[in-house]
Order: sequence, then structure tokens, then C-alpha cells
Amino acid sequence: MKIFSTSGKIVVLIIIIGLVGLMGYAIFGNRTNVKTSPLIGQPAPDFILKTFDGQDIALNDLKGKTILLNFWASWCMPCRQEAGALERSWARYKNEDVVFIGVNVWDENSNAQNYLSQLGGGYTNALDPNEEIQVNYGVGGVPETFFIDSSGVVRDKFTGPLTEQIIDYYVMKAKKPETSESL
Amino acid sequence: MKNLIIHMILLAVMVLGIQSVSLAQEGKSIDDQTKEISYLLMCPVCQGQSVGESNSNLANDMRDIIRKQLEQGKSKEEILTYFVNSYGESILATPPPKGINWLLWLLPAVGIIVGGIGITLFLFKAQKDERKENSPADNAQASGDNEYLQKIEEELKKNDS
Repeated sequence: MKIFSTSGKIVVLIIIIGLVGLMGYAIFGNRTNVKTSPLIGQPAPDFILKTFDGQDIALNDLKGKTILLNFWASWCMPCRQEAGALERSWARYKNEDVVFIGVNVWDENSNAQNYLSQLGGGYTNALDPNEEIQVNYGVGGVPETFFIDSSGVVRDKFTGPLTEQIIDYYVMKAKKPETSESL
Repeated sequence: MKNLIIHMILLAVMVLGIQSVSLAQEGKSIDDQTKEISYLLMCPVCQGQSVGESNSNLANDMRDIIRKQLEQGKSKEEILTYFVNSYGESILATPPPKGINWLLWLLPAVGIIVGGIGITLFLFKAQKDERKENSPADNAQASGDNEYLQKIEEELKKNDS
């Protein structure tokens, strides 16, 4: 039994090719403009954090500086893996108007203090008493790091453990004047 | 005049209906509204679970934020926009019908239509072939065949006897 004529078969073939093409575009299409966060290119969400020694630290007070905002937790193994790189990079950048801030999330305070006594000590680490900063920044897990330029705009987000090379790349990019290409 | 009265009554029923729906929504407790919104958001750290279904730390934070924002008087749309601004549209349990997302909304309908046309064509052809098989020409041929078989049987019987 013949269901489709030759022209019918051609139409069905074109429909199938079209659908496969659309699926291919959806999966493998132009990814160069895909942002890792909708915040990239937007003003960084405001925050007032409480450091582990009880000081307030606000985004507004850091205008004019490049900021590396790193979300971490003591139970997170990749955070331990990147801790050394963060400390070493901070030591190199601390006199260059680059501020490193560690934000401890989803953690027990005592565990976080132990973690810092073992692996931290250099740059500022803090908590959000309202536990909102992680959602404001769209954090889905730890470690995640945001790079904010001197005008307070989020320039990049990096998910996963940092290395010194990765930090250098994103910090240098955030220090450069913003271009349309970088967005 | 009679038509005008009927139209007035229908309009009044519609207005009352809309008002009762909005009153029912306004009457929802913060808990109910938090739950409703939490089911409209996907948990970013879970496998296919909504914020309402997940017990992760992030989902708890997100539920707290929904509650806080509702207490501040924000609308459902404002709260959903806040989460989209932080996490992107992938946070929404139902993708909005725009851009490539249209495919998600259109493809099932296209599939049903194309499938329906395919099945209809198949059944139509099948019925047509069946009709052909039962056509008078076929029947005539079949009766001719029967006569031929009958003759063969008669010859065989003669040989046997």
C-alpha cells in the first residue's frame, strides 16, 4: 500500500529535515553571546555583608575598585581546592585597587571559622545576615565567583574552582574599560 | 430593549465573576501564595524539582525571599521578574512563549496535526485499496477463478473414479 506520493514524500522529508535543523540550532546554535549569568553587563546587586570579625562591608563603599566576589562553603571541596590560588592572587593584587571578598553561604559558622583559620586569613570574608545575597546574585552552587568592575557593573561570572591564571584573566578583563564586545 | 436587558445581565454576571476571582486571590494567605509561586520556579541545584518541591538550602532561601517580598506587598509578577533577573528565564517552570521557546509550544500542536494528517491519509488509502479489492472487476475475476477451480476438481474426481 502506497501512503504518500513522491511529492508527498518530498514534503515529509523537508519537514523532518527542518525539525532536525531547528533541534540542532537549539542544541549547537550560536553560543558566543550566551551569558553565564543574566547579571553580566548589569549593575551588581547591592549588598551589606558582615565580616567574621563583625565589621560591615557594603558594595557602595567599594565604588572605584575592581571586586572579586567569591561564594564558598566549608563543606565544599572545590572551594578548598581554589583557596590557595585566591590567597596568592589577593597578595599580588591587594595594592592595585582590586578587592577580594569571600562570601560564606549555606554553612555552620563554626565550620566556616575553622576553614578560615586553616585556609584563609588574607582577604575579607563575610556573611549575609539576611541570607539573600546568594539569590540576588543567582548563585546555584559553590564555588561561584563574580567579577565587578570599578563602575559597579558585573563583568563576568565563573563557576567552579579558580586557578591563578583564571583569576588573572578575569581580573584583568574587569580592570579594562568596558567595550561592547566584552558584553 | 429585550436584547439590551440580556446584555446588561450578562455584563453584570461577568463583572461579578471577575471580582469574585480576584477577591478569592486576594484572600489567599501568604503561605498559600508563597507555595503557589514556589511551584512556578525551578530549583537551580535540583534535578527537575521546583522550589516548592525541593528541600535544598537554596530552595529554602528562595522560599524565604518569596515570603519576604509578598510581605513587602510585591506582586507575583514582580517576584518572578526578580528571580528571572538573577537566574535567567531557565528558572521559570513554564518557559515564556517567545524566541526559540515558541518551538516548545508549537511543536506538540504541529506533531498532533501532522500525525493526524498522516493517520487520515493512511486510513483513506487503506479504505481505497479495500474498495479496489472488492470492486466488480475483482468479483468477476474471482467468479472466473471459481469456475476454473470447479473444473479442476471435476477432472480430478474423474481421474480418481
